Amino acid sequence: MPEYKGMAQPAKASAEDLKKLRLVPVPDEKKVEEAIRLLDEMRKKFRSFVLAMESCVKCGLCAENCHAYLGTRDPNNIPTNRAELIRKIYRRYFTLEGRWFGKLVGAEDLTLDTLEQWYSYFYQCTECRRCGSVCPFGIDTCEVTMIARQILYWLGMVPKLHVGGGFGIERVGNQSNIPKPGMVDTLEFLSEEIKEEFGVDVRFPVDEEADILYVPSSADYLLNPYTLMGAAMFFTYIGARWTIPSVMSEAGNFGLLFDQRHLMRHLFMRLHDAAANLGVKKIVWGECGHGWRAWKMYLPYFVDRPLRWEITHLHDEVAYYIRTNQLKLDPTKNAQPVTLHDPCNYVRACSPAGPYGHTENMRTIIRAVTVDFREMTPNREKNFCCGGGSAVLFDDPEMYQKRIQFSKTKADQIRATGVGKDGNGILCAPCSICKAQFYPMVEEHELGVEVKGLIDLVGKALVWK
Amino acid sequence: MSYFIVQILPYIALTIFGLGLLFRLGRWAAARLLGTSHEITLAPFPQTPWQAGWIFVREIALFRNIFFFEPTLWVGAWPMHIALFMVLGGHAVGFYFLGEQFVYIGMSPELSKFMSNLLGSVFGMVLLLGLIYLLVRRVSLGRVRQISNPSDYLHLVLLIAIVAVGDIMRYFPQYGMHYEEVYEYFKALILLQPVPEFVFHNVFFITHMLLVQILMIVFPFSKLVHLFGMFAMRWIENRVHTDPAPGLPNVDVAAARAKGTGLPSAGGAA
Repeated sequence: MPEYKGMAQPAKASAEDLKKLRLVPVPDEKKVEEAIRLLDEMRKKFRSFVLAMESCVKCGLCAENCHAYLGTRDPNNIPTNRAELIRKIYRRYFTLEGRWFGKLVGAEDLTLDTLEQWYSYFYQCTECRRCGSVCPFGIDTCEVTMIARQILYWLGMVPKLHVGGGFGIERVGNQSNIPKPGMVDTLEFLSEEIKEEFGVDVRFPVDEEADILYVPSSADYLLNPYTLMGAAMFFTYIGARWTIPSVMSEAGNFGLLFDQRHLMRHLFMRLHDAAANLGVKKIVWGECGHGWRAWKMYLPYFVDRPLRWEITHLHDEVAYYIRTNQLKLDPTKNAQPVTLHDPCNYVRACSPAGPYGHTENMRTIIRAVTVDFREMTPNREKNFCCGGGSAVLFDDPEMYQKRIQFSKTKADQIRATGVGKDGNGILCAPCSICKAQFYPMVEEHELGVEVKGLIDLVGKALVWK
Repeated sequence: MSYFIVQILPYIALTIFGLGLLFRLGRWAAARLLGTSHEITLAPFPQTPWQAGWIFVREIALFRNIFFFEPTLWVGAWPMHIALFMVLGGHAVGFYFLGEQFVYIGMSPELSKFMSNLLGSVFGMVLLLGLIYLLVRRVSLGRVRQISNPSDYLHLVLLIAIVAVGDIMRYFPQYGMHYEEVYEYFKALILLQPVPEFVFHNVFFITHMLLVQILMIVFPFSKLVHLFGMFAMRWIENRVHTDPAPGLPNVDVAAARAKGTGLPSAGGAA
């Protein structure tokens, strides 16, 4: 059902699909009652949510700062109005003013239609946190979206795309549903590719005892092979003992996007066990935005045992070796004009301030491996989302149209840098979801750029002799 | 009616204001702080408590985000809030010291009274203009109209009414009240005594009192608690968070390069 009463919606997972995750959907006649109960539970659990519900003054600053609203001009895509879809219910059931003066303060009874509205609009929010960053009070609408999606999941309203990822997580430990044999095959193929293209011998160790556990995004096997190749070349270049775990071959974590309980924790525990079994000393994360946020900001509170390993991002490590002059790099290998898209999760949810934070590290790297680097405006933590964040990567015709609209602001930004003027520009988007969004979108907006990861460029620029 | 407004309602309004606020803030406090589930520190993360404190100052005292992202809103919002706090403070010290508060920083009593009047007039007008500006903005900007509930307009109208009546009393002394009279009135209220006779003759004063008390009753149940909400929200979002140090275990790049790791001549794999 790509549409409900005029609202675009991603195709829903069937009861059959949900059964694979052992989720029992709530029947329609009980959905409203159950939703209110779950909302009550959530508001007692998360103070950030309560504050988002109770202290917004409706100044409207968020409107012009949300790519979804800028692209669609749909009033329900104004961040505070999107939150209002829940707020009006919250007021009605959990506040005195809402119970007594409903009309005056904008309170409403919950109906099935409202739930369908939630399903439509909370899957149009990409959880990029730009509104939270811009809000004078720091009200984080991303938290509201996450809570709405969690409740919708428990009710049995969740996109097929997301549930598919969830199923893969439980079955093989990655969202792309790649089992170990398929993984090993692909890696051997990539090894040959590297030999052919760069003339170096690079092996991809899987499940070996090692010092470093590297977790690539599973999309790298299928869509972004150069990112995986770049990482392998980097580890080989510095002479590291590294390995990829086959039981947890996923830098992303779809759990963060719709089920922050069972699914998110499931991957966390897989990682913990893989690290323990392989006797590693440090865990290094691949290019994935939302995933990095999950592992960095959620993991410590979810694993059942104390975490014995430090987890760092590959960008931070590469930047460290560049800063200390330990890598020989030839920027002319990437001679085309390049611009950098700052993935929202890195710059607004994961990066420390200062010259050694993730945001600046990405720049340290890109300046070292390219010749003609041009910043977008605005950039860093003020950057706009690619429009596909939190896996809003739906292919249903209605939602695909929305994706084009969501990426409009981004496309304007890229065009303004002028990198694609001669049709040979590079759009560096070091995040799997950004890449998946950009591959079709740079065509739709005719930007004249090729989409690449940051580590792709590092791999190309390494000087081996 | 007048008797009710100036003699009885103040106690009711103050009680509702106090208990209502405790109720509202209690609800916030009862919800669990994050830290049991995840962290939502906004990047770039402050690296020291001082940096975190600076974010509080620049956002809460200077409205930096509004200034940066929508200067036309800042022009109304920031002066309005500053004037509001000045006016509130002015009420407290002006009536307590009978306009001679500036004597304590070296002015003569006459100059102090003059300054007190001047500041009150200026900030009273800034406050009124700021509020009207915000109301006009709310009505005229499509996107802001789309997010407004009736209560959002009513809060502004109520505030404008309070300030307008206050300004009339300030700019037209024949309708106003002297510092001494207000002092006596509040003294009577605080000591639970009958309030002086003269307050019943000033319609503006009674109106001003009524509107303020309505505001006090509404305040704990409205969005006006953003005064506290912004501290609570930033307390969650602007926290120190540091990264583990970079550098990989058992890695010696120089040795690896000397050995030629990865090059076919070195025998291949690492």
